[in-house]
Amino acid sequence: MLDTLNAPVSAVIPSWTGVVRHLHITPRAFLPMREMPELQLVAGKGIEGDRYMIGREEGFYSHRPEDGRQVTLFEYETLVALKRDHNIDLAPEEHRRNVTVAGVPLTHLVGRQFWLGETLLEATRLSIPCRHIEEITGKAIFDPLINRSGLNCRILKGGTVRVGDAVRNA
Amino acid sequence: MKPAITTIKTVVDKIDSGGAGIKVFTLVDPDRWELPPFRPGAHIDLHLPGSMVRTYSLCNDPADNRRYIVAVKREIAGRGGSAKLHDEIEVGDTIGVSLPRGGLDLADDVARFAFVAGGIGVTPFLSVAAHLTRVGRPKFTLHMIARGAPPLADLLEPFMKSGHLVVHDTSVSGRPNVAQLIGRPLSDVALGCCGPESMIDHFEQASRDWPAHRVHIERFVPPALPADANAKPYVLVLARSKIEIPVDPGQTMLSVLTDAGVDIPASCCGGICGSCKVDWLEGDPIHRDRVLSPAERARSLMVCVAGSADDRLVLDL
Repeated sequence: MLDTLNAPVSAVIPSWTGVVRHLHITPRAFLPMREMPELQLVAGKGIEGDRYMIGREEGFYSHRPEDGRQVTLFEYETLVALKRDHNIDLAPEEHRRNVTVAGVPLTHLVGRQFWLGETLLEATRLSIPCRHIEEITGKAIFDPLINRSGLNCRILKGGTVRVGDAVRNA
Repeated sequence: MKPAITTIKTVVDKIDSGGAGIKVFTLVDPDRWELPPFRPGAHIDLHLPGSMVRTYSLCNDPADNRRYIVAVKREIAGRGGSAKLHDEIEVGDTIGVSLPRGGLDLADDVARFAFVAGGIGVTPFLSVAAHLTRVGRPKFTLHMIARGAPPLADLLEPFMKSGHLVVHDTSVSGRPNVAQLIGRPLSDVALGCCGPESMIDHFEQASRDWPAHRVHIERFVPPALPADANAKPYVLVLARSKIEIPVDPGQTMLSVLTDAGVDIPASCCGGICGSCKVDWLEGDPIHRDRVLSPAERARSLMVCVAGSADDRLVLDL
């Protein structure tokens, strides 16, 4: 049997370079996400204008404050897989994460630092799907999003993130 | 800890008179952000001061995504929600609203629609008419039955001009024959009706030979549920809270949950509005709502009307 608890931790950092495909924010819980050409990330706080900016706290989960949820990412490849495997059309504005990236192995990045354009992020935990997103989209996506619902991050170095920016290991 | 945000925050941008004791409220996001989308014919709950929750149809075109417009008639013998809106709510006030729910099935294979509305019951068809006009499906007729000049003149004006609106003034010609308005069943025609119960009764009678999926009825008030003479007591188990609550015959799940301090958003309390949906995990629920599909019932129930055939029902609460 595979001993997953005591599996050796590889010192090899996977080699990859990804790209920012979409950027979204919304100022309050339930409101549609709006596509943006660029976002302003503030170190230790969040995204200008977004509901989870620390000090603003108007998100659906703001009653459960979380320092490591300043910006959230989602894999473009998951949208493709939802269509391919479940025939579900989920648009980038519907998953409700802020940054949709392509070519970035998000699930491998927990505990690591990486560059999102000129900003430096630290991945704190994997996002968990919620029924709230099914309520908003009216689509049965809870189960298909388990284990690929995105990544929560803390902002270590702020700055401007634009669509087309590179994403790479720190 | 801050309380959870459970409603969409809106502010009252405008209050217009709709005539005949009706006020038209325009709700917007505080920053004029886009609001969650809605289907033609959908409705929202307004969460009013004093824990009052009231459901109203959205009157604007669903493509008009920065406003929710609701028309509220002051009901003197009502439960107090419309009076509160008329007497206490002012421009600039904040109102929490639910996500939009419901709406009409405007299937592509429908060539023509006939809507029958009584007075303020025209509201769900305003968003439908605006939508159909915008998407180039102009074959619809909106029959409006009213005593005297119809209310909501501003909202009705485009459909008056386009010839889609047919007003039946009962003070002049008496009540129209609903059966004549809708005609005989045709496979590519769909019907809709909203108005007082007596009118809906006539409509149900007149449309009884139509296929059910082509007939949409929107009610102001939930229909009275007949008392279940065979109802037995059961125990409600809340899986996550680890609470067990006995439910006596005649009690609703919603009332015992509320008494136990469980905060369930509820509005119509009659199984038509869809507010109080809760997932169930084990047992054999009796569904008495008119809102959940068979697929949804496999997972959820409406606690305002549902019962239990088993002596134990486990909810995901």
